[in-house]
Amino acid sequence: MFFDLVRRNSRRSRKENGIFFSSLLISIVAFYIVLSLPQQDVMAFLAQMESDAVSRLLQMVPLLYGVTLILLFFLVYFASKYQLQRRSHEFGLYLMLGMKRSKLFAMLLAEDLWSSLLSLGIGLPIALLLAEMISLITARLVGIGILGHQSAYSLPAILWTMAGFLGIKFLAFLILSGRIAGMEIGGMLTPLPENARLQRTAFTHKACFLLGFLSLAAAYALAILGFAWTSLLLMGATLALGLAGTFLLFYGMRIVLAALAEKSKAGSRLSVFTFRQLQENVICQPCSMAVSSLLILAALCCFGFGAATALYHTGQKPHVLDYTFQCDYSDVDVEKLLENNGILQRFEDFFPMYVGYIQRGDDGAEPNFEMAEALTALAQMPPSAERDTLLHNLGQMVSPHLISLSGYNHLLAIAGENVIKLDPGEAAVYMDTEFIIDRNLMNQMLSQEPEIHLAGESCRLSGSVQSLSLVVDRAITLSFALIVPDETFGQLTEGEHDTYWDGVLRTEIVEQEGLLQAIMQTNQQLGHTALRYESYLQNVGRQLFYQTAASYITLYLAIIFLLIANTILGVQFLMRQQKAGRRYQSLIRLGSSYQALCGTAKRQACWHFGIPVAVAAASSIFGICSLFAGMLPYGMRHDIPKLSLLAGATVLLLCLAEYIYLTAVTRASRKHLLKLMEPGREE
Amino acid sequence: MRQKILEVESLTKYYGRQGSQTKALDGISFQVLAGEFLGIMGSSGSGKSTLLNCIATVIKPTRGQIRISGTELGSLKGRRLAEYRGRSIGYLFQNFELLDNLTGRENILLPLSIHGAQGTEGMRRLQELAEYLEITDVLDKFPSQMSGGQKQRIAAARALILGPQMVLADEPTGALDSKNAKSLMEKLAGLNRDQGSAVLLVTHDSNAASYCDRILFIQDGKVFHELRRQFPQESRQGFYGRILQVMAQLGGGSANVL
Repeated sequence: MFFDLVRRNSRRSRKENGIFFSSLLISIVAFYIVLSLPQQDVMAFLAQMESDAVSRLLQMVPLLYGVTLILLFFLVYFASKYQLQRRSHEFGLYLMLGMKRSKLFAMLLAEDLWSSLLSLGIGLPIALLLAEMISLITARLVGIGILGHQSAYSLPAILWTMAGFLGIKFLAFLILSGRIAGMEIGGMLTPLPENARLQRTAFTHKACFLLGFLSLAAAYALAILGFAWTSLLLMGATLALGLAGTFLLFYGMRIVLAALAEKSKAGSRLSVFTFRQLQENVICQPCSMAVSSLLILAALCCFGFGAATALYHTGQKPHVLDYTFQCDYSDVDVEKLLENNGILQRFEDFFPMYVGYIQRGDDGAEPNFEMAEALTALAQMPPSAERDTLLHNLGQMVSPHLISLSGYNHLLAIAGENVIKLDPGEAAVYMDTEFIIDRNLMNQMLSQEPEIHLAGESCRLSGSVQSLSLVVDRAITLSFALIVPDETFGQLTEGEHDTYWDGVLRTEIVEQEGLLQAIMQTNQQLGHTALRYESYLQNVGRQLFYQTAASYITLYLAIIFLLIANTILGVQFLMRQQKAGRRYQSLIRLGSSYQALCGTAKRQACWHFGIPVAVAAASSIFGICSLFAGMLPYGMRHDIPKLSLLAGATVLLLCLAEYIYLTAVTRASRKHLLKLMEPGREE
Repeated sequence: MRQKILEVESLTKYYGRQGSQTKALDGISFQVLAGEFLGIMGSSGSGKSTLLNCIATVIKPTRGQIRISGTELGSLKGRRLAEYRGRSIGYLFQNFELLDNLTGRENILLPLSIHGAQGTEGMRRLQELAEYLEITDVLDKFPSQMSGGQKQRIAAARALILGPQMVLADEPTGALDSKNAKSLMEKLAGLNRDQGSAVLLVTHDSNAASYCDRILFIQDGKVFHELRRQFPQESRQGFYGRILQVMAQLGGGSANVL
């Protein structure tokens, strides 16, 4: 009998709370996927090549797991709280019928355990399947092939998923059942009407709303003006103001909704009812609505910032070269060595890139380099922070690198760009993207063709600033170099220069094997030679890998934030609607049609989701701008408008996700209302 | 001759399946005239509330017909059914059924909002009813701030705001003390007299029933007795005495009746 009751109650809870149950399943899947990350094919593969970067990412897994646990605890806590609140009458009845409190506790625990085990029973197989699929798909996408596929199944991941999930469920249960244990039976049977709180003085609410609004405005101002990043104290103050502002705003929001209810008397059908319901929702749950709003804000910021920078990074630097061979000894003929080993035929293009310095004079004195005219031209530009930084950086330049024109032009040709034409006595400026700061400013300066002095010879700067990577390894970056004609290069370096052999793999090979596999094969062959080389893959491992991992983490967190916020809002709305069932029945008796009820329920749902989302969206504009201002590398700052557009687009995408959630909630609400329309026997 | 506004013919309502069937209404027939104050009395389980719920279209009868001003209720669907619920009848519940998150005024105006009939006429009627029912002071209060009597008078104003042909009152004094019950019945009788809305009152309370023009006594789903107040010679007290007599014999079954 006891277990039958447990099973039936648990089934009813699942049925009434489909959204919550599905969110639990998603959270189990999320836990497992994060925990099984080390088992993924791509990770195992990358770990062989770039063990440092991978191990750094994997070190973050426990941290991510912990953050997800804490967030999911809130979800479980809030959703279970509404569920238990709704059943308080039933619990009171059990106690009235003579059930001991310990037995009630055992029953609730058994119900919770049963539904948790069921969630794990359904969620874990889905998670295993999904992790396997992700492993296979990503492996296929990056081209490692599925021959060496190893299962993503991981027993520790399963055990940790179970432990984490059951742990948060149990903790939430303990806190909530402690509250129930402290309640009197009378209080359970006839809970105090919540609208008793409607009667409180409006002055405090008005003050809260105003204070919340002002706090938020102050936080926005601190964020957008960049003060928030100047010191830890100001950052703390901005966050505190933002948090307090959001909570106060939601606490005082009832004033706005009451005013809307008053105003809407002549409005559409049942509009007063709609706003009064909303007002009650806000009054009863200002904290959870504020928390939801903050979670949505966090999701928006993560999505906006993460996606924008990820998209930007991936489209930032073109992939031109696959290999660079460095040769320190001039007696080693790299090309010949590769040809003898049958490797050269794998390359479509293979060419040398010469990089050197102006040689010191015989007396060992500093090489003669001077670019005063260029600096003067730059100093005459309109004042800006970028100009001053450039002036400072270039002013420090004592001896720039030199790049031979032929090698660089070859690179440009492969990249499909126009080659540079330099007359004798001319030079072009090369700067890595990260050091350019303001490309327009540099190009404006170069358009004046300022004169510089190289080892006593005068030389004109021409063309626009160049920044195509010279070698595959982007860890080697040149802050400032000069591209000079080959004869000039020879004279200035006196034959003392580094030679980098750049190679591009054959297109057919890459298409056939996939880039990763093609590089792996070439690496294997290169293993037999004593050559020092860098491949594009290692570059991916070092640079792109960090970026991909960072955006992966921000997107993962954003999804978790969004999931939790929406589930809290959805469950809260549906629970309150069920609680207000009698009111809807009164409306039916007063002649309200099903369509009218669905209409008011839909409007309520829109507002219920809309208010936290709108507050979050408004805050996210400032949040994302502030993140861009504070966290972007200096070189990317001038691209903020472009990035903001990307962020805006991703935020719009999120709004679509909100809409889908809203549709699911209104559908559930319609189903509930339809049930109310069918009268039952009450007498 | 007054017009018939409600005709109930051979109304039957069975609950449960064959074998374990409960006959809540067993072929009941009666009529209500315009402006009439009709009481329905009977013991618990006699079928009073089922009858009222059938008329309110909250439940569907198994057999039989209910006609309001000649319109068969079974033929009403969708919007017309909703219109009927709101405009032709007003419903007064034992436990008031006020929406506790709406003020008194908002509760009263709710039917106008549902039927899209807001305007100055509605406001005038609200004022009129509020003054008559003495609830002007509590119009802007929430139900939790009102006494039981005030709540039921707000509910009465809500039932009457659209000027229905008939008010269905299900034990309206059930949750009130005797003073408030008396006051409510006086107001209801006054409204019935002045505004001409018929009242169908289901009650256990003989005192409340004494305000009626006519009373049907129901037992086991059938009308088994009818009392008519003799106007103008019979006083309310006299009628009350006759009701008590019938009630006293109700428990003994039909063999002991008068």
